[in-house]
This record gives sequence, C-alpha cells and structure tokens, in this order.
Amino acid sequence: MTGPVIELPVIELKDVSLTLGQGASAVHVLKGVSLEVAQGEATGIVGPSGSGKSTLLMVLAGLERVDAGTVRIAGKLLNGKSEDEVAAFRGRNVGIVFQSFHLIPNMTALENVAVPLELAGHADPFGVAARELAAVGLSERTTHYPGELSGGEQQRVAIARALAPEPRILIADEPTGNLDQATGRQIADLLFAKAKERGMTLVLVTHDPALATRCARQVSMRSGRIEAAPGTAHQLAVPA
Amino acid sequence: MTVEDASPGPSGHAIPVDSVGASRDISASWPRTLKLAFRFSLREMRGGLSGFLIFITCIGLGVAAIGGVNSVARSITAGVAEEGQALLGGDIRFELNQRLATDAELAFLTGFGTLAESANMRSMARLEDGSDQTLVEAKAVDAAYPLYGDLVTEPALSREDLFGERNGIFGAAAPDLLFERLGIQPGARIKLGTATFELRAKLVTEPDAASDGFGFAPRLLLSLDGLTASGLVQPGSLVEHAYKIRLDGEPTEAQLKEIRDLASAEFPQAGWSIRTRLNAAPALSANIERFSQFLTLVGLTALVVGGVGVANAVRAYLESKRGVIATFKSLGASGGFVFAVYLIQMLVIAGIGIVVGLVLGALMPFAATAALASVIPVPAQVGIYPSALAMAALFGVLVTLAFALLPLGRARDVPATALFREMGFEAAALPRRVYVLGSAAIGAALAALAIWSAGDQRIATVFVGGVIFSFVVLRYVGVAVQWLARKSPRVRSVALRLAIGNIHRPGALTPSVVLSLGLGLTLLVTLALIDGNLRRQIAGTLPERAPNFFFVDIQSTEADDFAAFVAAEAPDGKVVRVPMLRGRIVELNGIDVQKVQVPPEGAWVLRGDRGITYAKRLPESSTLAAGQWWPEDYAGEPLVSFAAQEAGEIGLKIGDTVTVNVLGRDITAKIANLRNVEWESMSINFVMVFSPNTFAGAPHSWLATLTTPQASTADEVRLLNAVTRTFPAVTTVRVKDALDVVNRIVEQLGTAIRAAASVALIASVLVLSGALAAGNRARIHDAVVLKTLGATRKTLIAAFSLEYALIGLATAIFALFAGGVAAWYVVSQIMRLPSSFLPEVAVATVVAALVLTVGFGLAGTWRVLGHKAAPVLRNL
Repeated sequence: MTGPVIELPVIELKDVSLTLGQGASAVHVLKGVSLEVAQGEATGIVGPSGSGKSTLLMVLAGLERVDAGTVRIAGKLLNGKSEDEVAAFRGRNVGIVFQSFHLIPNMTALENVAVPLELAGHADPFGVAARELAAVGLSERTTHYPGELSGGEQQRVAIARALAPEPRILIADEPTGNLDQATGRQIADLLFAKAKERGMTLVLVTHDPALATRCARQVSMRSGRIEAAPGTAHQLAVPA
Repeated sequence: MTVEDASPGPSGHAIPVDSVGASRDISASWPRTLKLAFRFSLREMRGGLSGFLIFITCIGLGVAAIGGVNSVARSITAGVAEEGQALLGGDIRFELNQRLATDAELAFLTGFGTLAESANMRSMARLEDGSDQTLVEAKAVDAAYPLYGDLVTEPALSREDLFGERNGIFGAAAPDLLFERLGIQPGARIKLGTATFELRAKLVTEPDAASDGFGFAPRLLLSLDGLTASGLVQPGSLVEHAYKIRLDGEPTEAQLKEIRDLASAEFPQAGWSIRTRLNAAPALSANIERFSQFLTLVGLTALVVGGVGVANAVRAYLESKRGVIATFKSLGASGGFVFAVYLIQMLVIAGIGIVVGLVLGALMPFAATAALASVIPVPAQVGIYPSALAMAALFGVLVTLAFALLPLGRARDVPATALFREMGFEAAALPRRVYVLGSAAIGAALAALAIWSAGDQRIATVFVGGVIFSFVVLRYVGVAVQWLARKSPRVRSVALRLAIGNIHRPGALTPSVVLSLGLGLTLLVTLALIDGNLRRQIAGTLPERAPNFFFVDIQSTEADDFAAFVAAEAPDGKVVRVPMLRGRIVELNGIDVQKVQVPPEGAWVLRGDRGITYAKRLPESSTLAAGQWWPEDYAGEPLVSFAAQEAGEIGLKIGDTVTVNVLGRDITAKIANLRNVEWESMSINFVMVFSPNTFAGAPHSWLATLTTPQASTADEVRLLNAVTRTFPAVTTVRVKDALDVVNRIVEQLGTAIRAAASVALIASVLVLSGALAAGNRARIHDAVVLKTLGATRKTLIAAFSLEYALIGLATAIFALFAGGVAAWYVVSQIMRLPSSFLPEVAVATVVAALVLTVGFGLAGTWRVLGHKAAPVLRNL
C-alpha cells in the first residue's frame, strides 16, 4: 500500500454511555467508556458475562446507537447517522466475525462471501469472493452450502466474508467459542494472520485467556466500564 | 492519503470509502438494487416452499373462486351476446301485451326487414279424453320462425309437417317434460282450448327460449293458426304478442337504437317493450350478474380470510429469517433492501398461488358448462376470459400486499444486534408509518376494487364495511380476551392457570387465533344460515290460508259461471276473484322511466309488464299504510294504490303520478294511498290497484283463487280436472306445483352457495391450522421447559385444550352475532326471502368448526408434547 501513514486512531470512543431497555427494566450497559485504537492494532476485550463487552463491540460496528458520547470510526463520526447510512458505511469499513458464524443457509460459500461486495456494488463480487475463499483454504468448497461444511470451515467462510470488502476494522465476537480447541486455534491463527497481512485493526471479544493474550493490547471490562488502563499501543503492522 | 480516500488492499479490490452513506450506496440506484434484491430473493427461496403451503393454497383458492365464478358468468353473458340474435329471435323485438299490432304498426315494422310474429300464453293442455292435464307455456309461431338459429325437433320436420292442419287437427311440438307429465308419446293428441293438436315431434332446441322469460311449465310450440283455432285468444286474455325483425345486413348498435327511438317517437302510445339483440335476455343477464356478484363476494371473503393465513405465514417465515436479516444488515444492507428482498419473495410465492388459482379458475367454465346446461337456457361461450382472471389476480396481489406489508415492515427493522443478543421482533410494535399507511392504502384499494367491480355497489359497500367491522371488532375481542385473562383471579387448577397464562403472556397467539378463528367462524355461520334459510324455504310449509289454486284468463262473460262451478266443486273452499290486466309503468311523475334512476331492489317494478287490477275496496290481504282509500262510488280522476315498500324503493309518495300503458293506451293515475302487502301470504296481491273508473269499459279477464285448506292431493287433482274440462280456456296453476318449480331453482341456488361455502371452509380450516401450527412451534419450547419442571403431558394437554376452548368461546359468540347479521342481510335484503335466525344451525356450525379446529390444534400439540427435552434444551 502506498500512501501516508494514518495518524488518527481508527477507533475513537469518547465518554460513551448506553442504556438498554426502559423504565424498571433499563440496564445501564456502558458507562462513560473511552477508547482509542490505532490502525493495525489488535485489541482483545475481556471481562465477565454482562460486563458490556459485546455491546461495546456493537457500538464499534455501528450496530448500536449510543445515548451519550461520540463514536468515530475510520475517521467518521457515526453519531446521528441513519441506520441505512451506517449500514452502508459498515459494509465497507467493518468486517464482523460471529461466534455462531451467521452464514446464510441458502447461499453457497461463494455467495456468502460475495454478499457484502454485492451490497456495496462491487464490479466483480464473485471473483473477489473466490480469491478470498482460496485465501482461507476453501477453494474446493465454494459451491457448498453452510450445512455441508464443518464448524471450522463455516468460520473460515465467515472470515473470508469479513475480509472480502477489505475493511479497515475487523471485529470478532468469541470467534472460537463454538469450535473445538484444535479448530479454534486454527481459526485464531487465520484471523490474526489475515489481519496482520492486510494491516487491519482487529478487535475481538473473548472469554478465552489464551486468545486474549495473543492480542497486543487487552481491555478489561466490568460493569460497563473499562477497568484496566489501556495497554501500550502496539501495531501489528503499519503499512509501509 | 486521508481516511476519506480509497484504501485498496493487497488484492486491490477495495471499495472507495468516501463518506458515511456514500454515493455509491446501492440504495442510490433503484434498478440495480431491485436486481440485486431479486437475486438474493431467489437464493433465499432455495430452501423450498414447505412453509408456504397454506399461503399458496389460501391465495390459490380465493383467486380460483373469484376467477372461476366471473369466468363462468362471462361465458354465459358472452353466450347471450354471441347468440343475441338467436336468443332474441331477431335483431330487434317488439312486445305487446294483450293486443295485436295495429295495421299502422305492422306496416312500420315490416319496413325494416323480415318480420316474424309469435304469441305466448299460459294455458292448460289436456288429454283428449280429459283424464289428465297440465299447465303449458304455449308459444305460437308463424312461417318465418325462427329468423335466427335453428328450431330442432325429433324427428326433424318441415314447418308444414310440424304445425300444419290435417283433417282439422293442427300439429305441435313439445319437450320431453310434457310427454312425461301426461304420460304420452309423440303422435299423441292433446287438447288446448277448444282445439285438438297432434304432438308430431319432440322439441329439442328452441333458439329464442331465453328471451321469453321464466318458464313455469313445459313449452308447447304450435302455429299462430293453431292458437287462433284454440279459441284461447279473447279480448283481455293474457297473451304476449312478439314481433321480431331480421334487418338486412349487420345492423350496428346505433342503427338498432335509431329504430328503437323512431318506434317510440312514431307510436308513443303503443306501449310496446322493445329489446335489441344486444339485450336479448335481460332477466337472465341480471340474475347471472347478481349471483356471480354474490359468489364473488364469498370468494373475496375466502381470500380475505386467507389473507390472515398469509399474514401468519409471512410473520412465521420472517421470524425464522431473523438471523439472516440481521446478517444482511451487519454486512451493509439497508432496511429498504431487506424489505425488497422479502417482498419479492412474498410476491413470487403469491404469484405461484395466483397462477394455480388462475388455472383452476380458467378451467371452471369448461367444467361448469355441462353442469349448467340444464339450468341456463343459453349455450355458454366456453373460453378463457382474461379480464375476469386479471381481476382475480389483482385481488390476489392486493390481498397478499395488504396482509404481508406489516410483517415485512417489521422485518425491515430487525436490528443487526439481534445477532449478538436474543431480541428482534417486538410482536406488538407497529412497523414504520410508511408501511402502516401503505398497508392501509392497499386495503383501501382492495375495498375500492371490490366495490367498483360489483354490479350492486351498495351491497359491495355493505360487504366491505362488514369485513372492516369484523377485523376491528375481532382485534378488540382479542384484546378483551387477553385483558380478562390477565385480570382473572388465580385459580387452583394448574391446567386452567397455564391456559389463562398462555392466553395473555407476551407473544401469545391469542390475537392471531381470534382473528383467524373469528373470521372463519363468522363466514361459516353466515353461509350455514343462508343455506339453512334456503332449505327452510324449500321444505317450508305453505303459509296458512294460502290458496290451493290460481285461475287465470277467466273471461268476463264466464266469470260468474266459473265462480259458481268452483264453489259447487269445492263447497268448503273460498273463491276470490279480481279483474286482471297487464300494464307497464312508462312514466313516473311525467318522467320517462328509462330516465329515472331507481335502486336495484326496486327495479323489478319498472321492468316489463305487471299484473294490475282495480277494486272498490281495500284488498283483503292488505292494510293501508298511508293515505285514504277511495269511496266505492268514486268517479273522479284515476287513482292508484301503490304497495308501500315498493313505492319507498322507487321513491314514490302520495300525490305522485304513475303512467301505465294498458292495451296500448297510456293512463296516468295519482297515488291516493300506500298499502302494506303481505307477499308471503300468496293470496292475490298487486303492486298497483286502481280506482274502478280507471279502466271502465276496457276488456279484461279475471284472476281467481280457490282456498280450500281441507283438500287432499286427490281432491286437488279432481278439481283441476273438472275445471279444465269445463273451462278449457282457463289456465289453472296449482300453488304446490308452482312452488315446486320455485323450490327447484332455490335448490340450485343452495348448491352453488354450498360450493362457495366449501371454498370458504377449506380456506378457514387452512388458516386456522396454520395459525395453530405456528403456535405449536412456539410451544415446543414452553412444553419442554414445563416438562423439565415436572408438568405431565396430561396437564399440558388439558391446559392447551382449555386455552383453545376459552378463545373459541369468545370468538364463537362474536361469530354467532356477526354471522347472524350478515346472513339476515343476504337473505332478506339481497335474496328477498323471509329470513330467520336458526339457532340450531348456527350453534351446530360453530361447535362443529370449533371441534374440528381445536381437534387440529390438539393433534399437533400432542405431537409437540412428545418432543424430547434434551435436543430442544441444547438449542435454547
């Protein structure tokens, strides 16, 4: 990649607060969270169940609107943008890998990977999708439906789908949570390798301490707040 | 480079990241978005259509019913139009009552082309030895008959051989029915009036039968000379003379109208009724139109009930797609795109149902032709009727959209966060306003189409109002049932407690089951009550004091003798006789009736000839509703007493004038009073009774009734025989026979209604079982959790039974009420038959339907309760 080094953090949250539900059932999920993540940095978010880490991930992906504070992703302020505007933005800038893969059952592996490209109006979605599947080692499985793939293969397809639009940020919610240990390790290796290879910012939520420690930086959450002081910013790769 | 710049990745395929909501957003380009949405829809549908069987069947049935009924109706009306000349017996037809055309009139008519003359009257045909007799519809024709079409007899004979006089005996032809009634064969002789006729052939096809109106009795086709020889045509006899003209070439509509206008202008007093080939069988066309409208509304009701099934199916489907929708959104799809993807799928699925329905509907005229051949005297023009089918398809599309739009709108708002946490649809929440308004607008378009396409828009409006009322009320019934369940005190029975809980818990099926069950039950109760009323009409006993016989065409000279004879033959009987003329209303308050707008229910009074009479005193079976009766010796300007209900329907009041054409003379009379007439009493009733001086000196015949309650069938047959022998020119109608004829028609009506009811029944049961099946899916979870907590299968099934029973009870009450009102409206206001609420029919229908649907529900539930806990719990 040629071009100037990005100086601004790719993720910039300031005093973000979020309450879910209303009245008696209201839960204050995020309480004044501030976070900055640099381009290419790998960050692991850890914490007990209910600490707000998945919600934080949703805020980063533009899936959840905040009640207070500002959310700036890839240099763009997401506050006040409409759901559709944020969806289009997310399609290009944020790749998401889920614990339960969330592949579309009636689409082949190739079609699943092509979906974000098609939505973004890419000129050759299937060509790119085929290359991405090859990159995750599934060039032989392009015409298979999710139901015909193993859990590990499904997560590979999901990673290929997240990578396909070349997003700046890759976020992963318990990406190995539904996989056995060996497969989980392989998937984690793939995820870290691809993020590093493409200079993407990786943010992942995990309960797995081993996975968390692979991240250059760990953020610990408890009761809706970031508990540990932000670690040293460590870039996996800075594009030259 | 700044963050706004494109950042191509290693593979060089990055997408420019220009801004949030970038201009290259797919929503910016509609055609491309639609194309992509269509592609995604097809991919999504690879999973098959198994969840849509009820959706497809409901839409298919409704479309088939509407398309089929309208195709059949159009095939008949097209048959009428195509065969217009043959059915009318000419290009244009002039009818005169009780008089022949004058020489001037004849000269006028013959000036246009070839003229054929015929005369129709009812009379008694009897065996030569007088041992048996029957009523016949005699039709006398001249040598030019028929001008169009073919007269088919068996054997085929020349006109001369068929009708000609041989040794003082004329020939005649009659259909099988007459031979059967009198137990004779071709070649046999019968007497009509004072003449003897030889039945030389069986009548197979009489091309213009439909234009002669409703046939009470078998036809007897003879020559005009033969009729003259019978001596039946006397001054005042109820004879209808028809003059049919075959014009040279192919006259246009305008030319026919021109002749019509010319005839009215040249002979304003003629009193003839003029019909052209474009309107060959108006009564038949009107009946076909009315009945097809009724069946269309039943089909539409089935479609609307099916719409609830559509909504349920769409909701269940989208619920199952929540994860996929959220995934689309997490990958950058807009809400509008998601909406488009699923809307296209629903339209494709509805399209399948519509195509199936259209195929069935298009085939219906082919199937119906054979079945209707014996009922309708017109060869149906069997074929495909694109406009009828297009309308059915349009109804199908509108119903689909009206019912699918709200669940689709809700799906649009499924947040991508649903992938992270268990949330998504909030069942009670309405979608965005645009979808609510869109759904309402499509509903309004559906209502407008139903009203616009209906012949009688008042009835269609009432129907639409009824449907809207039912939806609104059922919505509140659902809310009320849930409220009651929520507020009910805690009960000891575990099963009942669970049942009550199931009714009101969040996400309960109560609203959709109440709506489905309520609409289905209402429709069934309505149709069952209509059917029940029709059956009662058929099986019903004659009204008390109904006469046994009507005697028509009693000549004035023999009226006293006749009364004396009948009194002697039936000493216990009561003979009533009144003067009888035929007349046609030509003007109301000096305005030509053709130009008067009259609501459909009153139109029959102005259509064609009416029997009229005059009287010194108020007729027995009537009571005065308004105004004064004239003095017995009244000698002033002509006055008329009008039947109150009919006067109301055509907007007449006391003091208005009515002009009738009687025997070629226009007579204007002032309405002096209004009478309540009990038509059901079956005694002599007339819409118009004139003051005696109105027709002073006019030749007329008499109409008489004999009421002899004690008479057995044998007595009636003996009396009929005696009267016919002694007064051969008098036409005798046995009321029981006449009722049999009417009942046969009503029975055919009932068959069609039962066919429509079965379509509605299937739709209702499908919708209900669909709603319950959706419920069962939700219940697997509950049942498993409850079982792990120690609930037995017995307790659970008792709870579910009670739940259905409680919901069923609430909707049944509504259905009994709403169905009762709807049936009353159809029977009394549309069919104009006496209507009564038949509790046993209504309750039996509701109970049977409830047992059926609850049975369905419980059968599914029993299966649900058998689910093993572990696999379900693993997926919780």
